[in-house]
Amino acid sequence: MADRRERMELVIPSDFRYLGAVDAAVQDLARELSCAQRWINDFSAALIEACSNAIEHGNKLSTDKTVRVVVKLNGRQIVARVHDQGAGFEYKKYLSDTTPPDPLSERGRGILIMRAFTDQVSYSVDPGGGLCLELVKGCDADETSSQDEN
Amino acid sequence: MKINQRELYGAVILELNGKLTGGPEAETFRNLFKNLMDEGKKNIIVNLKKVDWINSTGLGILIAGYTHVRKGGGDLVLCNVGDRIDSILYVTKLNLLFQAFESEEKAAEHFKQSAS
Repeated sequence: MADRRERMELVIPSDFRYLGAVDAAVQDLARELSCAQRWINDFSAALIEACSNAIEHGNKLSTDKTVRVVVKLNGRQIVARVHDQGAGFEYKKYLSDTTPPDPLSERGRGILIMRAFTDQVSYSVDPGGGLCLELVKGCDADETSSQDEN
Repeated sequence: MKINQRELYGAVILELNGKLTGGPEAETFRNLFKNLMDEGKKNIIVNLKKVDWINSTGLGILIAGYTHVRKGGGDLVLCNVGDRIDSILYVTKLNLLFQAFESEEKAAEHFKQSAS
């Protein structure tokens, strides 16, 4: 199978209603990797979570701020970077917290979902301000669409 | 998010249509569950057949509803959970919190049997 190198960029308002656009776009792009639908869904779930974090914790739901999403296919790997325009938050503490939330807690599952569905989750500070969350996921041979029973 | 409400065997079915992602929906659901409890409707079935996916904020909405209903002496169960939501429930271990049934009928029968 030939390696694909594609890139997608989209900018959405800080509004949960636009998460569907992120899902639709990444579903289309990820199909270029010919990975199983479940693999694509898992990556999209992680990216939706990253964008949700950027909207809520990064941009604090501010309507005058946007979230920029850049997704690249790099061989058999997909890399997404989610940039917010917020003042930042304690992402190191957020990333280091591996304690599962109380089952009845209404919050605290974002990083858990991103970690479960990707190979790597990291934050960095954008030079122009705001945070960048990066997700990396590789598509193994046993995850290709030919193995997908659906 | 659209919510279609009906009843079966005394249980209230909330059929959701759209994406469960938080925002203003959280308040809508909070009011809905409060009203149902006030009306004495304590057996709730959330039908997720028309919900493609959910994020952690949406999970929080379901948990808030579950907690509210349980405190009122009722129960909240799920039905028609699709693969994408099922995966998220599994990795967050919320599959251990929410009982899930394959159809509205089976979920309603669960409540019917519990009452008898």
